[in-house]
Amino acid sequence: MKFRGKIIDIACLNHFTRVVTTISKLTKMCVLRLTPDNLFFVLSGKVANGGVSMWCELSQANFFDEYQMEGVSSEDNEICLEVTPENLSRALKTVQNAKAVKVKLTKKHCPCLTIAAELPTLSSVSRVVTHDVPVDVIPRRLWHEFKEPSMPDFDVSIYLPPLKTMKNIVDRMKNLSNFLVIEANLNGEMNLKIETDLVSVTTHFRDLGNPPWGDDASQDGGPSQSRDPESMVEARVDIRRLQQFLVGQQVNPSKAMCNIVHQSVLHLILLHEDMSLQYFIPAVA
Amino acid sequence: MNCVLEGNSIKAFGKAIHALSRVGDELWLDPTVKGLALRSVNSAHSAYACFLFSPLFFQQYNLDSVREQDSGPIKCKLVMKCVLPLFRCSTSIEHSVKRCQISVSTGSDQVIVQFFCRHGITKTYNVRFLESEALQAVFASHLCPNVLKSPARLLGDMVMHFHASQEEVTLSMSAPKVSLRNYNEGRNDHMKMMHTEMSLHPDEFDYFQAGMDSDITFCLKELRGLLCFAESHCLPVSVHFGTPGKPVCFSVEDMVLEATVVLATLADFESRGPSQPTETPAPTTHSCADAAALPVGIHETQSNNLQVLPDVTELVESSQGSPITYPPVLMQLQCQGDSACAGMTPPSSMICSLLFEAMSSESGDDDDAPRLPVLAYFSDEEDYPRSPSL
Repeated sequence: MKFRGKIIDIACLNHFTRVVTTISKLTKMCVLRLTPDNLFFVLSGKVANGGVSMWCELSQANFFDEYQMEGVSSEDNEICLEVTPENLSRALKTVQNAKAVKVKLTKKHCPCLTIAAELPTLSSVSRVVTHDVPVDVIPRRLWHEFKEPSMPDFDVSIYLPPLKTMKNIVDRMKNLSNFLVIEANLNGEMNLKIETDLVSVTTHFRDLGNPPWGDDASQDGGPSQSRDPESMVEARVDIRRLQQFLVGQQVNPSKAMCNIVHQSVLHLILLHEDMSLQYFIPAVA
Repeated sequence: MNCVLEGNSIKAFGKAIHALSRVGDELWLDPTVKGLALRSVNSAHSAYACFLFSPLFFQQYNLDSVREQDSGPIKCKLVMKCVLPLFRCSTSIEHSVKRCQISVSTGSDQVIVQFFCRHGITKTYNVRFLESEALQAVFASHLCPNVLKSPARLLGDMVMHFHASQEEVTLSMSAPKVSLRNYNEGRNDHMKMMHTEMSLHPDEFDYFQAGMDSDITFCLKELRGLLCFAESHCLPVSVHFGTPGKPVCFSVEDMVLEATVVLATLADFESRGPSQPTETPAPTTHSCADAAALPVGIHETQSNNLQVLPDVTELVESSQGSPITYPPVLMQLQCQGDSACAGMTPPSSMICSLLFEAMSSESGDDDDAPRLPVLAYFSDEEDYPRSPSL
């Protein structure tokens, strides 16, 4: 198994760092899948993290100037590593002014992702800073847990309001309740609701727009045209999970939307220029 | 004692207090003829910092006439928590404070800090102090085989690569390069710890003297304050060190002030497990007894270090001529002569303690050299600058 990538462009380095930092805010540990064309940060839904799962896809060509990898074998030309994204983020954040950054899979006292940056100095010799981030190699028999999640059979799909606005609201609602109900309809309306014994608060959003998934993406269950555009579908989620998702977003995505499966799962999708992020929050009763 | 600060000096003074607050919880205020010394030491006595402001730093600087029974000005110890908030907000100080007057009132055991601000506002703070013995650490920096002098930003930039939670780092000198890496004690979760390393070329330093190969491990936290101060004043930082176990001294200096931080270093490398593969094989034992028998190849000053230690009771030049306080753990390191080190802490000890003697850089003048019994002949005086000069 070999992996060697090099980032030379400062903007690419900056974007990559931001992606990794976003991931680090979403989860303490995740799986990094490396394929010849892509990098994936994957979190598989487990009881331990409240059933939340995440899928982040980056095209390596958007970030790396050089990228070489050799997977476990020729049929399984992939590398799966369990990593703590915060370590990667810390390492990358300190080398933002580097002339070049190499990311390599190495074996020191344990398998590591080594970030080696060449920094400019006043003297003729460049300074090299290395960060060794320990990783765990995931064996092939467990790879099935980290496959791309299939699009859920959603009832409503709607564009999200500006994430910053959502975050402010969710932050305040978190003080009042542990659970939040997110409901939306095909008329571009979304409500965020909390309800306790003492108080109930609802924030209404209008004219958000619904993504045109098209008939083939509409579900087998009921074709979306037959759904009453006014009727709301809802999912009641742990407010901390939603807040965690919103806190991590540092840049406004090109597109932000969510799919709701009535009382089942909230599927958030963010599309940026160079990466896509999907986040699944299961609904609670 | 009575002194007045104006303009930028107030900010610098405040920054010095910030740097000292990173070291210890108490601040020793020591007005002397040479200037006002601010000192602090941490609770484990493994880090000591001193900022000496010469009289030129102040607009006015007056030492009171002698008190009745004592020989000189006051030695006072303040609680850092009381003093730091006064100088906390450096931007507001910059904008609103025009003059600052600090005086020590012996009658009421108080330090009075007055800020004369814009719009005719005067803020007066009375901070009670405890009278205390002088605190002074002595470190024979001119005897250190390894000396580095780095431009202001260099060390700060290096240290930036280590996360704020990283406590200890190892500085390795192995000519012709210097490397810095983080130090993780053998812990259960060492597998999950990130390992950071960087190396520096001699060209990056203003002065580079590699007397001997050595890896020293010290705590970064107490140093960050000084580095911050150095960067804000664009002052180069000098580093003096020797074998692991001996303290390392970081100092900055300009015409009106000198600042020093002395840190203890880890004495023992043998306790490190195989989990530290990047460890360069360090000289194994450094007990006094062994050092006395070091082969000729090792630098002469090596053995000097151990024998130059003063008598416990010797009154080394301190500002007030008062006896130096020696925390008990340090007593063990006082080696007397060759039979030295029966009392030496065994090599397996992880704690290294500071030697408390007069700071050579503080004393500043050559009078001090004869006080310390130099038992060996310096082959070449120029190789060992007594203190870094700009």
